Amino acid sequence: MPRLPPLPLRALCAAAAVAALTSGCASTPGSVRPPDVPAAERAGDDLLKSAQHTLVTRCLQARGLTLDRKASVAEDRRLQAALFGSGPSELSLTLPTGHTVTAHTDGCLADARRTLYGDDERSWFTAEVTVNNLRAEAGARMNEDPDFQEALARRNRCTAAARAAAPERCAREEAELAEVRSRLEPELLAEVRALRDKELTAYRQLRNRALHRALDVVPARS
Amino acid sequence: MKLLTKSLIPAAAAALLLTGALATAAPAAAADCPSGHFCAWEHTNFDGQRANWSGDDGWWESWIADEDSSWANHGISGPGIPDHVKVYSRAHQGGHMTICLAPGQEVGYSAAANDDGDSHTWAMSC
Repeated sequence: MPRLPPLPLRALCAAAAVAALTSGCASTPGSVRPPDVPAAERAGDDLLKSAQHTLVTRCLQARGLTLDRKASVAEDRRLQAALFGSGPSELSLTLPTGHTVTAHTDGCLADARRTLYGDDERSWFTAEVTVNNLRAEAGARMNEDPDFQEALARRNRCTAAARAAAPERCAREEAELAEVRSRLEPELLAEVRALRDKELTAYRQLRNRALHRALDVVPARS
Repeated sequence: MKLLTKSLIPAAAAALLLTGALATAAPAAAADCPSGHFCAWEHTNFDGQRANWSGDDGWWESWIADEDSSWANHGISGPGIPDHVKVYSRAHQGGHMTICLAPGQEVGYSAAANDDGDSHTWAMSC
């Protein structure tokens, strides 16, 4: 069941959040102090998203488009092409999980990311996609673990036999599977993080640079 | 038209993929997925019937659950807006996360996650 509001409402929420983010933190009236990069990850995310939203909105406006109104199917296709890009995707990365993630470099979103993360979009794409999927990579490794496979097979045999009529009969098998999963997950995640250290370092460096650039994009706090 | 099933992926191929990023042929066209939505298709390269959601879904309909073969995140970013999509192998965001996509990212096929998704959620990050 959808839990989020539809697009136009979400866009309005975003605009309101941008205003709140950029108009707060007032200092002495009339003075402008150099803004700081937020220390908290969530605040950093919000700053980056504010900047990206500002850049994307400007870019779309230059093309006579907006995020804020309900579009027909044809209009939305135009918006999709302007925002996300069109034609064959220029960026591509195959993850150890087997997914080939792709993205375009010709839309307003790609433009905004170039402004924030720099012109070497391939480096950012590789770092972002890899780091975003460390948990998925750990999950793929878990699927190969004999203890996990055994617990999963036991649970699946039980649920197949019990059918939906009596799922509570498999509570013990479910608990055993959950126990194996919670035991394996931290160690596999640590393993994967160590393996992807280069991408993690690049991700942190590029994100930090983007945070500084984002401060130049969102209206100055005064 | 499904590309591969999980059981057909040999360990050697998985090991090869672990060696790092590999460039592969990208789909010929961008995915047609409405702005603000996450989409999943029953076939590879954004083909066949499409499911699209602007919100979370803890239990995909049977025609797409474990039948998903390509995916696209056309979410709109903004502060405080969950714009990343996490796909899970079981209903109600259970099992393991098969993939997390940032806005604008698409997956035309996946050897491992093909026919594996059962639910998804929008999140602030992965």
